[in-house]
Amino acid sequence: MNTAQAGTLESMDCLVTVSEAAQGAGVKIQIAGSSAARFKSAMEKKAAEVIASMGVKDIDISIQDNGALDIVLGARVEAAVKRLIGGER
Amino acid sequence: MRRTMLYLPGNNPNMLTRGYLFGSDGLVLDLEDAVAMAEKDTARILVRHFLRQGEFGSCEVTVRINGVDTEYWKDDLAAVIPFPALQGIRAPKVDDAATVKIIDEELSIIEEKNGIPVGRTKIFCLLETAKGIWNAYDIASASPRVAAIIPGGEDLTADLKTSRSSEGTELDWARRMLVFAARAAGVDPIDTVFPRVTDDAGLRKETEFIKQLGFEGKSVIHPNQIPIIHNVFNPTEQEIEKALKIVAAAKEAAERGQGAVSVDGRMVDIPVVKRAEYTLVKAGLLEVK
Repeated sequence: MNTAQAGTLESMDCLVTVSEAAQGAGVKIQIAGSSAARFKSAMEKKAAEVIASMGVKDIDISIQDNGALDIVLGARVEAAVKRLIGGER
Repeated sequence: MRRTMLYLPGNNPNMLTRGYLFGSDGLVLDLEDAVAMAEKDTARILVRHFLRQGEFGSCEVTVRINGVDTEYWKDDLAAVIPFPALQGIRAPKVDDAATVKIIDEELSIIEEKNGIPVGRTKIFCLLETAKGIWNAYDIASASPRVAAIIPGGEDLTADLKTSRSSEGTELDWARRMLVFAARAAGVDPIDTVFPRVTDDAGLRKETEFIKQLGFEGKSVIHPNQIPIIHNVFNPTEQEIEKALKIVAAAKEAAERGQGAVSVDGRMVDIPVVKRAEYTLVKAGLLEVK
């Protein structure tokens, strides 16, 4: 199974790991880390938005958060997905 | 005003988020030396997201792209140019006018493609080789986009086959040359960074020196350096008071139809008035003309 990562575990960043999923499996998002308890739904929404804007339908995403803002989360998800599909390296 | 332009590592969310809060006049979001080769892609994406949605206060926002001798520079430009928050790009290792023209052409293509007025994006040129310094005037006048020229520190010293000293002897001539070239071409001369981040006295001394040479400001690698540099560049109370007197006297003389006028026993002519006005601009008491 192909996986890719982007980001770090430093302060105000997050580490995003994405894995290919079978066709029809949909988007699965897992979130852990410092802000996960309070901002989980907002973070899921942001990640899902970025995924949708990239036209990806089936993917597993794991986010290890260390206080990343919305902007940072979006950028890290986009970078990880691009690495997975080989669009930007 | 470009007294201070603070470098922010392009792959560091913490600094990209807080950078504008340190009060520098400008920011340089860095995609070049501050970013590891393996992270060029993620930094570019992160910086793009910040340009789209980030907060920069009243800072002049620029991005340092990778050099035209790398595979990254066109992707860097394509990623950052479309956003109105971006005012200019800092181009490394500019050796000659041809390098400026290559970047200028690429900028025009991207601006046109994105419906941005062609010519909006300024270029801040880093002159990091002996050849670059030698060609300083040609570089500064190669395109109306050029807003400033900046001498390199470490790279230039290496190219000169010497090393960096605390007195800055090795950069002395390059700095003087750069000020002349910039002023002759009508662009800003901005100095290189001061690398010893804990040496406040050394920073103050160097800033006083480069201000006296005619520099407009300095590149900054640590937020703690900003207040020291501003303190050196800001006009003193006495300078402001004198400038106000001169400008008022000149205005009065003009209203009376007189040319030259005397203030505190000193003849005041046009260059003196211009300098006084510039002091008031730097003190924030007069709009830039």
